Amino acid sequence: MTRPRDTDRRDTGRRITRRQALKLAAAAGGALAAPLLVRPAALGLGGAVAPSERITLGFIGIGRMGQGHLRCFLGYPEAQVVAVCDVDRWRRQDAKEAVERTYTQASAAQGASGGAYAGCAAYADLRELVARGDIDAAVVVTGDRWHAQASVLAAKAGKDVYCEKPMTLTIREGRAMTDVVRRYGRVFQTGLQQRSTPEFQRASELVRSGRIGRVKVVYVGFPGTCGDVNLPPEPVPESLDWDLWLGPAPWRPFNNRFHQLGPPRDVVPWHFCPDFGGGNLTSNAVHAFDVVQWGLGMDESGPVEVIPPETGEVPCLTYRYASGTLLQVTWKLEQGKHLVPAGWDPSTTIQNFGALYVGEEGWIHVGREGYLRSHPEAIVGRGEGEAGGGRPVPSHHHNWLECIRSRARTACDVAVGHRSTTVSHLGCIAHWTGRALQWDPVQEEFPGDDEANRLRSRAYREPWGI
Amino acid sequence: MTGANDALEKAFEALKGYDWGTDPATLKMIDDALAAARGDAASRSELEARLAAVLRSAAPRAAKDFACRRLSRAGSAACVPALAGLLGDDSLSHMARYALERLPCPEAGSALREALSKLEGKLKAGAVRSLGARRDVESIPRLAELSSDPDPLVAATAAAALGQVGTAEAAAALAAKEGAVAAGKAPDSLCRAAADARLECAERLLGAGKKAEAAAIYEALRSASQPEHVRLAASLGLAAATGKS
Repeated sequence: MTRPRDTDRRDTGRRITRRQALKLAAAAGGALAAPLLVRPAALGLGGAVAPSERITLGFIGIGRMGQGHLRCFLGYPEAQVVAVCDVDRWRRQDAKEAVERTYTQASAAQGASGGAYAGCAAYADLRELVARGDIDAAVVVTGDRWHAQASVLAAKAGKDVYCEKPMTLTIREGRAMTDVVRRYGRVFQTGLQQRSTPEFQRASELVRSGRIGRVKVVYVGFPGTCGDVNLPPEPVPESLDWDLWLGPAPWRPFNNRFHQLGPPRDVVPWHFCPDFGGGNLTSNAVHAFDVVQWGLGMDESGPVEVIPPETGEVPCLTYRYASGTLLQVTWKLEQGKHLVPAGWDPSTTIQNFGALYVGEEGWIHVGREGYLRSHPEAIVGRGEGEAGGGRPVPSHHHNWLECIRSRARTACDVAVGHRSTTVSHLGCIAHWTGRALQWDPVQEEFPGDDEANRLRSRAYREPWGI
Repeated sequence: MTGANDALEKAFEALKGYDWGTDPATLKMIDDALAAARGDAASRSELEARLAAVLRSAAPRAAKDFACRRLSRAGSAACVPALAGLLGDDSLSHMARYALERLPCPEAGSALREALSKLEGKLKAGAVRSLGARRDVESIPRLAELSSDPDPLVAATAAAALGQVGTAEAAAALAAKEGAVAAGKAPDSLCRAAADARLECAERLLGAGKKAEAAAIYEALRSASQPEHVRLAASLGLAAATGKS
């Protein structure tokens, strides 16, 4: 094949300084002039935020996760949701009404007077939302198959982006997203919210500062990817645009297991199908992989080898970093199979979305809701793990909004998210090929492995592309 | 061995009637055979030929979908004609590209280029997109022509593909569009795609050490005729190319 060398594909490492950044796009105009404050006291902000100072948001995807994010963002007086988008008519109408009800009630509670509230627009097609010049930023909470496409469209239209995890379905998507976000100087946050949580910040600092010595192995939970799925066709509901639901993904017939019409019940009902997700490794383990990458100081790199259990060489999916540190995906440690460190109770399960770092001088186990333990105990301090955690998702949102103002890099910027999500994809590809694979994190390729390299990308269904 | 061969024959027989809703476990032996044939060129070629034959048969769409997916991982130049034969099929064109886009052989690029004259609308845009994803330098002249296509989707996709190819020649082809864009004679979708493609070309040139060529592109995109976010992008790029902020 005739193609240029790939050496010019690396992130040039350009950083955007505040000085270089242009002012934000004009905020909502007179039609949205009513001061719509929401629970300012609860947020400790106490006062009004002028409409012209608010960051206008467009929501893309209103499933179970989308509803949760929407509720959070409606509580920020410095932001205003002006549009929602979903391919399910019930969901977009429900979201539109929720937004309008919240802002109207809050406005009344504040005794607001003045201009009429123009309401929240609702779209089935994200291209209409992205085309609006009065929207500063997009919150992408679609299914995974849409994350890269929606984020790239928004960034190319000059909007900042919050994108749920996993950022991507393929490694190439992550590289393309990184390039586009850098190209346009956009502020990007991906939903790996452990970065905004005190216990994870502390654990990462302790590991990186050498408090447990050289890290020998890190354990995380949520093993498993997905395999072939071939569900029977069902009639497409009249209130659902199935073609837009699929978007860039290969066509397949509608089945209600992919999409629950109306009120969403499950978080990621489609993630068992490889066209739409990668099973546990992309949906859940990606949180923990991000924690590991962070603690190991690998934000701009990644492992150099991945070995699936199908080879019979390892007890579970195993990664190796250039330093020799191993990363293993398993819920429990078993003597003879895993390195069980001193002071570890084998009946203990690895924390959801957390990690157990095992070093030469001790271990640190971190999880959500303030879980932080160590051996020796003095590493984290007796009782410190009982202190309770922060509020990861609100903090993560707030970090993004602050960075939109300051133009600083977010807690989990696009390049960081790409590298952490790549760890998920490497695991999926290793499972799918059933072989141990070498990985070059600089060139982002499997050296000399044609079959594995092909799995770094997928063709988008027309007319989509990034 | 005979048992395994029988099971493989059964799987290929099942593939002939494989439709949506059929248990994919009925085809597992084909995947097992492909994995076992890794490093065995003769066995691999035989399996590839059998999968390609499905594409030429009257098998259901789901069966051809399956075959395209496997060929995307295990195919070679030998299966390109069968895949190319699906590029004009509304329901299977994407899956043909799903395989062709991944095949490293030059024949896959040739097939996509040759299909351009036979395709229209979304399918043509899809083939253009795949050439861009492959960074197919031989398609630059054709992509340059197509960036003036009367179909706005095809024109914008061709401009985007030139950006993905990203060579100095691709940048020159995009620069040639500048007159129409500046004169307001191009549709908005093409203007946006062309500006983004030029930025992408500049990044690739910068990555290849061609700072002056990249800087010239950035300088051109700082013109008042460009939207604010494009001017910002050009300013950031220029700073990177010249070392001045």
